[in-house]
Amino acid sequence: MKYTPRLPQRNVNVTPGSPLRDFLVLLLGLTAILVGLYFLLGLAVNLIVPWLPMDIENRLAAPIVRRVVVKKDVPGQEAEVQRLLDYLQTECTDLPYRFTIHVSDNPHVNALALPGGNIVVFSGLLDKLKSENELTFVLAHEMGHYAHRDHLKGLGRALVFMTLSAVVFGSDNPLANFLSHGLYVTELNFSRDQETAADEYALVALNCTYGHVSGAGEFLRKIDEGDGGGNGGHYFSSHPETSERIAHLKDFAKMNGLDAGPLAPLPADFNL
Amino acid sequence: MFDLLFVLGLIATGYIIGTWAERRHYRSIERREREFIRLPAVTLKKLDAGSPPVESAVMVCGSAVVSVDYFKRILASLRNIFGGTVKSYESLIDRARREAVLRMKASAEGTSLILNVRIETSAIGRYANKKGVASIEALAYGTAVTFKREGAAFHTG
Repeated sequence: MKYTPRLPQRNVNVTPGSPLRDFLVLLLGLTAILVGLYFLLGLAVNLIVPWLPMDIENRLAAPIVRRVVVKKDVPGQEAEVQRLLDYLQTECTDLPYRFTIHVSDNPHVNALALPGGNIVVFSGLLDKLKSENELTFVLAHEMGHYAHRDHLKGLGRALVFMTLSAVVFGSDNPLANFLSHGLYVTELNFSRDQETAADEYALVALNCTYGHVSGAGEFLRKIDEGDGGGNGGHYFSSHPETSERIAHLKDFAKMNGLDAGPLAPLPADFNL
Repeated sequence: MFDLLFVLGLIATGYIIGTWAERRHYRSIERREREFIRLPAVTLKKLDAGSPPVESAVMVCGSAVVSVDYFKRILASLRNIFGGTVKSYESLIDRARREAVLRMKASAEGTSLILNVRIETSAIGRYANKKGVASIEALAYGTAVTFKREGAAFHTG
C-alpha cells in the first residue's frame, strides 16, 4: 500500500456558519416562548384566583407581610386608620377578609394591598392627606382591589415569572436574583382596568360612609400635583392618568346620583 | 443590574477573545500539519508484508486540553434547551484532537510512521465548581515505528 501525504480539503467536523447568528436565533426563540408562556399562565392565574380559598390565601400572606412590613411604626395613626377601616368593613362593604392596617414609615406616596387583608399605608401618603374623606377613599380603593382579588392576580403572575426564570436559568443565577428584586414591584402593579374598577368600588363605599363623594377627586388631584406621577412611584404610575381618572369618577358619580358634600376633618391626633 | 451587565460583559469578552484565540489556534494547527505531513499517522495495526525491516517501535502519545469560553458555554446551554448540533463545541473538540495528534507527531520526530493511532477524549474540570466550566482533553497515542535504512541494515546484518 502506498502512502500519499495530503491535507484534507475542508473540515467536515465543524459545522460552518456564524455562532453569533445561532446565538441570536436561539435567544429570540427562547424569549418568544417564555413571553408566550408567561401570558398564557397569567391568563390561567386570572381564571384560578377567584376560586382560591381564603385559608390558603392567609397562609400565603404571612411570609410576604413579614417581608414588607417593618414593625416600628406609629401606633396612634395605625389605630385611627384601623378604626376607619373597620367602619368601612362593617357598614359599607362585606368582604370575606379580616382587614389589618400597617402604617409604614416610608416617604413614598403609596398604599399596598397584600394578601390576607393586610393593607400597608406609607406615611408619605398620610402626610399628604387633608381630610378623613380622602383617607377613606384610599382605604376603600384598596378594598376594591380585594373585592376583585387583584392583589392575588399580581402575585400569581409574579410567581409564574419566578418559576419560569428558575426553570430556564436555574434557581440561583444573577439574572433570577436581579429579577426577584423587581418582584416586590411587579406583584403590586395593577392594570388600568383594575384601577378603574377599584376607584368605582371606592366611590360607592365613600358615598355609603359620608352620604357624598367629596374627597376622592381632591385626593387624586393632589397626587398628580405633588408628584407628577413620578415619586408617587411604584403604585400610582400604574394607575390611569389622573385627569382621566377624575373625569371617569365624575361621570360615574353623575350616573349613579352621587353628590358632593362637606369634608370631615382628620382625627385630632393624626398628624403628629 | 450590575450582575446583568457583568454577565453580558463576560459573554462579549468570551466571544471576542474566544474567536480570536480559536482562529490563531487553527492557523497554528494548519501550519504544523503541513510540517508533519511526511510523518504518516495511521490506524492500521500491522505493517504490510512488503515493508522494510523495523529498527525500533516505541509508544508515543500527545495530549491537549482546551477550555470552553463563556460565549460558547451560553450558546451550548441555549442549544441544550432545544436540541440539535452543538456547533459551539464542535470546533473545540476538533481543535483538541488535531492538537493532540500534532503533539504526538512532535514526540515521534525522526521516526518513519505511527501505527495503531487512537484518540480519546474526556471532559475535565466539569465539576470543579458548580458553574461547570468544562475543558476537554484529547489524548492521541500510537506506536512510532522506525525502519532500518538500507545501509544500516547491511552493517548490522
